[in-house]
Parts: sequence; structure tokens; C-alpha cells
Amino acid sequence: MKIVKWIFIIAITVISLFPFYVMLMMSTYYSENIFKGLPLIPSDYLIDNLRTVFKTDFLRVYANSLTVSIASVVLGVLTSTLIGYAVAKFHFKLKHALNYFIIITMMVPAQVGLIGYIIEMRHMGFGNTLMPVILTWSAWSFGAFFMVQFIRDTVPGEILECARIDGASEPRIFLNIALPLIKPGIATLSTLVFLWSWNSYLLPLVTINNAKSFTLPVFISTLGIVHRTDYGARMAALAMATLPVLIVFLIGSRTFIKGITAGAVKG
Amino acid sequence: MSTETAVKQGAASRLRTARWSGVKVWPYLFALPFIAFYFTFHFYPLVYSFWLSLHDWNGIGAKTFVGLRNYVTLLTKDPLFYKSLYNTFVMMLMSVPLMILLGMVLAYLIFHLTKGRLLFQTINFLPYITTPVAIGFIFSFMFDWQTGIVNAILMKLSLVTEGYYWLQDPWMSKAIIALMIIWRNLGYFMAIYLAGMTAIPQDIYEAAKVDGSTGLHTFTRITLPMLRNITVFLIVTSIIGGLQLFDEPKLLYGGWSASTSGGPDNAALTVIWKFINDSFITGTRFGYGSAIAYTLFVIIVLFSILSYRLSAGKGEKS
Repeated sequence: MKIVKWIFIIAITVISLFPFYVMLMMSTYYSENIFKGLPLIPSDYLIDNLRTVFKTDFLRVYANSLTVSIASVVLGVLTSTLIGYAVAKFHFKLKHALNYFIIITMMVPAQVGLIGYIIEMRHMGFGNTLMPVILTWSAWSFGAFFMVQFIRDTVPGEILECARIDGASEPRIFLNIALPLIKPGIATLSTLVFLWSWNSYLLPLVTINNAKSFTLPVFISTLGIVHRTDYGARMAALAMATLPVLIVFLIGSRTFIKGITAGAVKG
Repeated sequence: MSTETAVKQGAASRLRTARWSGVKVWPYLFALPFIAFYFTFHFYPLVYSFWLSLHDWNGIGAKTFVGLRNYVTLLTKDPLFYKSLYNTFVMMLMSVPLMILLGMVLAYLIFHLTKGRLLFQTINFLPYITTPVAIGFIFSFMFDWQTGIVNAILMKLSLVTEGYYWLQDPWMSKAIIALMIIWRNLGYFMAIYLAGMTAIPQDIYEAAKVDGSTGLHTFTRITLPMLRNITVFLIVTSIIGGLQLFDEPKLLYGGWSASTSGGPDNAALTVIWKFINDSFITGTRFGYGSAIAYTLFVIIVLFSILSYRLSAGKGEKS
């Protein structure tokens, strides 16, 4: 029984890692040599592959992706935290209405309004910029939902009350008292937005028509058509595209998994 | 949140508002950015898309009001829509039950490990954070009929004499897409189940042990029912997400191998892929595209309610 158990765990783990491994190994091969055997041991062509990749617009695309992800994190986490704080810690007329509003908007698939969104972006003059991919995170219902739960559970009302009696202004209470307490929640949410905006493929594919504003997923998938022969180089590009999320994930893996599972276990 | 704290909080806030009536403007100010952005960048596009779905428009010329004709055409004269819907459901049926089963078993085994729990949890979660583009390329490389690693391994083991054309077989292409979905999401399912298992109070297990319950019996009688809500959550969310499937099939056929749209004989075409094709790639039928999006929205709402009823009801009977 114990052996069966270990075989199962190890088999699944190997399957989880195998494609990563193939990707890394292939990025060290000269394209034509990949197909001569199984690319399971590293070869010596990594540097040349990287050189090929950097000859393209890779760096600019990389910078685009970083800009999008960082801006999305700032924008998405900011608005979510503010509304989460309001709904979780204040008593006002629309408190429950807002809570329902957040939950209902979370159920609406993003694609339903996609065409309207694209036309709107064109009218605002953002058609060929990175803005459409960033602005979609400006009102992120999941983030708001997450923050309502998190702030409700971690910020004790009494502390805020004390600060109010001492005469602190509301922005100061938020910045100096609530914010330090909800740092872990902000970290989780930031990791999530970074990850999802970094990997996002559909939205940049249909909103960005200008090659200057391509993000990594779109760039690499179209690169496939232009240089269709250089598999080694493309794998090197993919490995580099996977790297930042891997680092972000490994740094915060414990809180991250906790954050992503929070909604499910509670609801 | 427990009701007790809710009551306490309610009482406290009522006290607060009684004493600090000037505070009341602040919650609205804090909520304002989100609300304003939502109405500008999410709600307005939703309404605008619906309005467009009642029109015939190519994005440049004049809009012609056609009423519900886009919807009628979609539902009565577009067999490809039904095919894409069918494909989406087949891929979902192939992947969701397996993810639930494997995710639960994997979580159960890892939960009972004494060493290396975090390590295995982290490794198995990695596919979930990988860029879909990478997954698409890696899978289309692995299953390529000429150069693919799967054929190479099968040939080395002498299981087949010549490469199998995986990506050109309608059923195989669906199975490979299901495999991609499973590969990517298994770690997520595992993590959710692990969190659920951690939340089960340990004294229940101890009580069961005292009563002589062991292994499989404990699992089916205690763990499984305690995880019911989580299973319902996972089924409902994977149906909502599964109906919007796009990245995996598109990227499997998009870049590496022959860039055919929809896969062999449209066997891999999903509803969202058709929506993107009709509105942006093969045509610019914005009105018709919006109608597809809204029809899918209705289907998603219906099926999430249905799946919720079914999966939540099933547990009550046992």
C-alpha cells in the first residue's frame, strides 16, 4: 500500500515537472539536433539560442509585459483594498448592497463585454497602447471580494475605534493602522494579479494590434509563425517568459496557495 | 465569518456611527474608485455589447438595427456554433471528473505525508502558474507526429512502428486538450482540497479512530462528506471556466504545428474561439460576435445553477 502511494505521488510529480524539464533541455539545443534523439540531457547551444532571442524585439516585449503586470498589480490591488476596507470596516447604508454587487460582478465572465470594451478603448484613443490590458484590472471583483473577507478577519474594529477617539483622520487610520495589518493579504493579491496579467493571452491578442505593444504570450505565439524553424530559440524565450512568475511564486508560495484557496474553503 | 462576530461588529459600528456621524462620507470615498472604474470599464462595455448584439455592424460602417436576428441566426442557422458548444462540453467531461478524482487522491496522499508536504505541494502547483503559451508549445511539440517526443518514446519502446498523427484525429485532439487542462489545473485542485482537509477538525478523526474506523472507511464516511462544499465549488467554477475555454486549444493549434483554425475539421473549436474568430480574425462581425458572447453568458448562468443544484443535491441524499 505504501509503495503504491509513493508511486502515485512520484508519478504525478514527474508528470508535473516533465514538460518544464523538456522546455529547459530543448533551450540548450541547436534546433536541428533536437529531433535527432530525445532531448533529455543538456546540450551546449544555450548561449547561441539566447543570442537569437535577443536579436528580436524580445527585450522591449519583456519590458511591456513587466509594465503591464506591475501597473495592473498597483491599480488592481489599490482599488480592491479600498473598497474591501469600506465594506468590511464601515457601517453605512449601502454596505450590504455593495457586498452583493461585488459577488454578482464576480460571476460575469469577462468575455461578455469584450467587444464593447475594445470599441470603448478605441474611442478613448488607447487602441494601440498597453492601456486596455492594464485598465481591465482597475475594477477586479475577485480582488475586492478577497479583500472584504481578509480585512474583516484581520483588522479588529476596536483598534480603528480607538484611533478615531484619539482624533486621527480616516485616511491616517487607513494608512497607519489598517494597512500594516493587511500586508499579507496585499502580498497574496499582488502575486495573483501579477501571475494572471503576465499569463493573460486572450485580451492582449484581441486588443493590441500594434507589434510595438505586444506582451510576451502574444509575441511568442506570433514569433512561431515568423521563425518557424528555430525551436531551440523559441524554447529559450519561453523559459525566460516563465522565469519571473516562477520566482514570484517561489518567493510567496506558502501565502500564495493559501490566498488562492481562501475563497473556496470559506464559501 | 461567524455570526457572533457579525453581531458584535454590527453593534460596534452602530455605536460608532451614532458617535461619529461625520465618518459616513468616508466609506463612500473608499469604495468610489472601484465603483467608478467598474462602471466605466466593465458595466458600460457590457451594456454596449448587448446593444451591439441587436445590430449588424462590421466595426467601421453604419450600424443596422436587426433586433434579435443575430440570436436567431446563431441558434438556427449556424451549425458551427452547436459544434463548438459540443466540443467544449466534451473537453469538459473529459477533464473535470478526472481532475476532481486525481486532485482529491493526490491531496489525500500528500496530506498524510510526514515529510515533504510543502515540497510536493509546491512542485505540483507549478503547472498552474505556467504561461499557457508555453503549455501549448510544449504539448504540440510532444504530440507532433514527426518530431514529437511521445512518438519517439513509443517507437523506442517498439510499441508503434511509425508515428501516430495525434493532433489530426478529432477525438485525440480533444483528449490532448483535456490532458493539457488536467495537467495545468491538477495542482490547483490539489491545493484547494489540501486546504479543505486542513480545515477539518482533527478530533473528528480521533473520535472515528476510537470507534474503530480505519483507512478507506474513514475517508468515505468522514473526509468525503466534509469536502462536499469544496467539490461543489470546484465543479461549478470549472464549468464556468470550462465554458470559456480558449487558451489551450488555440495555442495547441496556433503556433507550433500547422496553424489550422479550430483543429482537424473544427474538432477543437470552442465557443470562445468561434467568438474570437467571428469578431476579430476571420471576420469583423461585432454584432454577431456580441450575440455569441451573450448566448454563452446565458448558457454559463444556466449551467452553473444546474451544476450547483445537481452536485449540492447529490450529497444530501447519501
